[in-house]
Amino acid sequence: MKKNILLVEDEKALCLLYEEELGREGYAVTAVNDAEAALAELGKTTFDLIITDIRMPGKDGIELITQIMGLRKDIPIIINSAYQSYKEDFMTWAADAYVVKSASLDELKSKVKQLLGD
Amino acid sequence: MIETYNILSPDFERDAPRELMLLSIISQSFFQPFSLEDNLLVILTALTSGSGVGFNRAMLFLKHGDRLKGEMWLGPRSAEEAGSIWEVLSTPGIGYVEIIEHNRALVNKNEDTLSGRLKGLVYAADEEGALIPAYAACRKEILFVREAASEPLVDRRFLNMIEVDEFLCIPLLARDDIVGEIILDNAITRTPIMPADIKLAGLCGLIAGNYIYSTTLHRKLLETEKMAAMGEMALFVTHQLRNPIVAVGGFTDQLLKPDVPEEKRLRNLTIIRDEVRRLEDIIYQMGHFLKVSLKEPVYFDPGPVLADVLDSPQVRVKAQGYALNIKLEPCLPQILSDPISFGEVVRNLLDNAFDTTPAGGVITVRGYRKNRSGFAFSVRDTGKGISNPDKAQLFRPFFTTKEKGMGLGLTFIKRVMDTCGGKIEVQSRPGKGALFKLIFLCRERE
Repeated sequence: MKKNILLVEDEKALCLLYEEELGREGYAVTAVNDAEAALAELGKTTFDLIITDIRMPGKDGIELITQIMGLRKDIPIIINSAYQSYKEDFMTWAADAYVVKSASLDELKSKVKQLLGD
Repeated sequence: MIETYNILSPDFERDAPRELMLLSIISQSFFQPFSLEDNLLVILTALTSGSGVGFNRAMLFLKHGDRLKGEMWLGPRSAEEAGSIWEVLSTPGIGYVEIIEHNRALVNKNEDTLSGRLKGLVYAADEEGALIPAYAACRKEILFVREAASEPLVDRRFLNMIEVDEFLCIPLLARDDIVGEIILDNAITRTPIMPADIKLAGLCGLIAGNYIYSTTLHRKLLETEKMAAMGEMALFVTHQLRNPIVAVGGFTDQLLKPDVPEEKRLRNLTIIRDEVRRLEDIIYQMGHFLKVSLKEPVYFDPGPVLADVLDSPQVRVKAQGYALNIKLEPCLPQILSDPISFGEVVRNLLDNAFDTTPAGGVITVRGYRKNRSGFAFSVRDTGKGISNPDKAQLFRPFFTTKEKGMGLGLTFIKRVMDTCGGKIEVQSRPGKGALFKLIFLCRERE
């Protein structure tokens, strides 16, 4: 059975890329474009991992993480942001990994595998 | 009952005391949207105009670091030139703008002679044993110099240049610091300088000093704001550039794998092309924002600029699917701004209206005279509107509510309006559209 990943990313091209690339690694990816949609998905499906951007329209990734921690502490979370500087925000320390966006997806893929024990 | 009066144009009777007229002109410098140099020229004009009751000539030194440097010289070179200048400046009803235009022409004329030579003079601003004219600034005292030729404290180079025996040195002070000095003389009429003239010139010097000080502080503040904006920009650019770069890198990697189906190859190439275009657009907008240097505002007819923008192919393409109502008053007045920036401002407002209004919406552009000295240009849309928290941040660099916006358009508009002394009004409620109204200073067509 494929492991489920919830991807929260407002850039549609990146959603498509991550879906395909993580799909190729054998994961089922559900992509949503904002925090509200992510919370709705979490109510419907059981996920094994969450990957979230920080800067998004509406609620940002940090608020989303805080809310998820209140709901489900057991799902590992990877922050995937274009900003390095959010690493200094202690609210992001609640996440299990912080991967800065890069033209190569190698680091992201290896973190996903590590956190899912693959 | 309440009566209101305009702060900027006190309409004194023609026989009002000249002291009052003088202070009125100088005080206006604080409020005018012209450059420091233009406003300083008006201060010099105030000291030299008035059909012979003022001084004949005025020279300005400004303090740069610890040096006092000659900046500008205003005044006629001969008795004939003096007559014509004083006639212009004593014309009843002559306004601040006319004085500025007249002065710019006069200083340009003097540039090769008087002002050019004055600019070569530089003195230490706080040195013991300084020579006149710097001596007055160093001592922070007004000096009335007579029989200058036999006064050993007077710098000979300075004396050879001004060629008068009697002159007044007025130090310009602000918060007990020297910001400059004004030299006044009556080289043309040879009228003796009277104690009343000295007191009045001293008072003008006090106002001028504070004006220079506050303007310098304001410039420093703008510089600091700009630096802060640059820092914010660096952070913002990282994010803006990184997302398309990730897409380009990722989809290119996919193409490099063997046996990519044709359909996927085309799709990836299309995404890569679009993302590269987006990168180009970001770079263009950043470059545009950084290099924009606003020009001095002038009065011009906004009609041709408006027609140019409103009839442009870009606007016509964007307007498809919208009801675009254009209501421009016939015979528009001349407005005070920089024509190129004004065009950009109009373009930006229209872009925002189209971007935030769903197809089928109504966009209304209006241009009308608000009152005698104000022209309003407004763009109203029926789009998503602006929430109160967003309203407070609208003009901050890089603040945007648009999916693809850079958040620089309204920052640019604010810069333009600040430079020309205009105002911006925003009316909006979420879901009820928005109205952006720009109010420019205006005057009748010439």
